[in-house]
Amino acid sequence: MSLKQLDVRGEICPYPMMKTVQALKKLTPADAGLEVTTDHAPALETIPTQAARLGYTAVIEETGTPEWKIRLTRQSS
Amino acid sequence: MNQPLGLGQKRGGLLAGQPLPRHLQRGLLATLAAAGIWLAALGIDAEMALFWGYGLAFGFVLQRSRLCFASAFRDIFLLQHGRTLKALLAGLAVATVGFGLVMSKQIPNPTLGFLPPTANVLPIGVHLVLGGLIFGFGMVVAGGCVSGSVYRMGEGYVASWVSFGGILLGLLGTAYTWNWWWDFSIAEGPRIWLPTYLGHGGALGLTLLALLGTYLAVVWWESRSGIVIPESPFVGREGPDFRTRLGDNLRQLFVHGWPVVTGGLVLGALNVMLFYTAHPWGFTGELSRWMLGLSNALGFGPGTLQGAADLPGCTLEVGGEQGLLHHMLFLVWGMVMGSFVGALFAGEFKLRRPRQPRRYWQAAGGGLLMGVGATLAMGCTIGAFFSAIPSLALNGWVFALCLTAGAWLGVQLIQRYE
Repeated sequence: MSLKQLDVRGEICPYPMMKTVQALKKLTPADAGLEVTTDHAPALETIPTQAARLGYTAVIEETGTPEWKIRLTRQSS
Repeated sequence: MNQPLGLGQKRGGLLAGQPLPRHLQRGLLATLAAAGIWLAALGIDAEMALFWGYGLAFGFVLQRSRLCFASAFRDIFLLQHGRTLKALLAGLAVATVGFGLVMSKQIPNPTLGFLPPTANVLPIGVHLVLGGLIFGFGMVVAGGCVSGSVYRMGEGYVASWVSFGGILLGLLGTAYTWNWWWDFSIAEGPRIWLPTYLGHGGALGLTLLALLGTYLAVVWWESRSGIVIPESPFVGREGPDFRTRLGDNLRQLFVHGWPVVTGGLVLGALNVMLFYTAHPWGFTGELSRWMLGLSNALGFGPGTLQGAADLPGCTLEVGGEQGLLHHMLFLVWGMVMGSFVGALFAGEFKLRRPRQPRRYWQAAGGGLLMGVGATLAMGCTIGAFFSAIPSLALNGWVFALCLTAGAWLGVQLIQRYE
């Protein structure tokens, strides 16, 4: 299943995290999760933290560029 | 898959006849440029070269640990976690001990009522309360305080350059009202240095206890939020041979973000070194010197500022006779350069432009407010807080409380209007 995409590149602190939380709250049970593209390094810590509170696990992909992809999927309960 | 990053791999790459990764080439080039400026500064004045070095170190550490003073206060409310604030408390504890030692040499008998000449013991009053509130609000709206903006300028955040412009304008604009504030509140404000009342040991002990108490309060606050996520650990290649070990270590230093508490501790130690050299860390005074020097030279400046020259810390500086070349100029731009070098080596430099025009207004407006707040409080999160609490000065704690309240107000705003 493909993940919904969210692009928060260019955003200033703390909007990458806030927009991710909003998008996570809008996901329907049909969505497998969310993939966030960000160029804001502090978000690598804040997004997984806030996502965990909503029941998502995070996997960060380092692309070798100043951009990262964070894959957020539902924790299997 | 994984491109080898870090200086250790670089030599291997060269030996194998491969070109250096581009971000390493750029990082080395920027390091050379920084060294060149250091040599040029040395040609003018040894102190300027020294402060360029301090600036590079502060900027590099801020970039590597991604330490943002604004987020330390903001995330208490926004995320209900205090990882960054706890890092600052650890740094403050280190600086407090160091500052205490230096000041005990400067003023052996504190109960006589003399104040250490360069420590940030500043007048307390309405100006300080308002300054803290306005600054705290502004830094959350702008998405970074003064030091945060300075290090993100080096990482390529366009909005931070806009914030920086706002800060400069805020400092200049408020300078026109300085004399009014001086008569209204600053002149009469008590400058309370704890060792005057408690002796060196007592003041040091009380400050460390207060830091510990704050730390416990933060942990309690975090514990109410339920979940706490551990920091993402560094995963190396884990090979046993020397080259892999060295590569892992260099990656950890230059590529992977440092744990924020490491950043706090190193900044605390650097602040002690700087205080021992000349005066505590802080630079809004220097920013005001550019603006006031320029505006006065062009004939539209605010002119004489009552009493400002006699106050330490980041109080407005008229500048003038020394011109632009001042050791603090090298500290400020050294911070931008240090962060730039750190970001290049990490492969994190990128010109980042917000897509929504509103963000530029936010950056400029937040910056302007920080300029206003820093004038009234005679410093930013560095001069009036990170250097004031270790000065064993009561004004540091007053500013910290008001900063927290201002940050809370800012969080209310950004949560309502995205």
